[in-house]
Amino acid sequence: MLLVVLVAYALFAASTTAFTRSANIATAVPIVAVVVLAVALWPLRPRPPRLGPDAGHPWRAWVCVFGAVVAWELAEYAARGSRADHPTLSSMLDAVNRYYGLKVIVFFLWLYLGAAIVRRGGRRQRRARSEAQ
Amino acid sequence: MTSALSYAVWALLGLALVGVWVRSSVPGSSLARPGLVLERLATGPFLRIALVVAWGWMGWHLFAR
Repeated sequence: MLLVVLVAYALFAASTTAFTRSANIATAVPIVAVVVLAVALWPLRPRPPRLGPDAGHPWRAWVCVFGAVVAWELAEYAARGSRADHPTLSSMLDAVNRYYGLKVIVFFLWLYLGAAIVRRGGRRQRRARSEAQ
Repeated sequence: MTSALSYAVWALLGLALVGVWVRSSVPGSSLARPGLVLERLATGPFLRIALVVAWGWMGWHLFAR
């Protein structure tokens, strides 16, 4: 059900044009929804997932890859020359967003990530509550 | 030439991301799966605020501005 709503909203929102009032509203609504849901559903004192002593370094590869992405993004952003010579994630996604079908996919992925953030942030509390009952 | 190098690095980074993603989903892998990474970020007292702000900013930057 949630997926259907997200797809429908992405279909609508992707039809708006950046720098217009309709695009502002279409983007602001999910942002406000995620903030409201996070405040309502997330525990005041969150408990991060605990891993066993033999878990090794489960985050290291992720930190390295995302660190490299951020470093390259900053290097490209600060580099002298045209944006065409030094593309950033934004400029590449701007090119993608010129096509309605691709913009629908990008908007859907953004919405899906927002929903996943809300769900993951309150997951342990929901699990603990259901175990207590 | 400059843009070819830039796109090549972006492609390598994309491949690295996919590689980490695939490796994390292999049974018995020591790497955290993407969902667990997100859960770790979303349950950190300060990280979760940064995560929501970053997500909102990304959407605003890409679709509205």
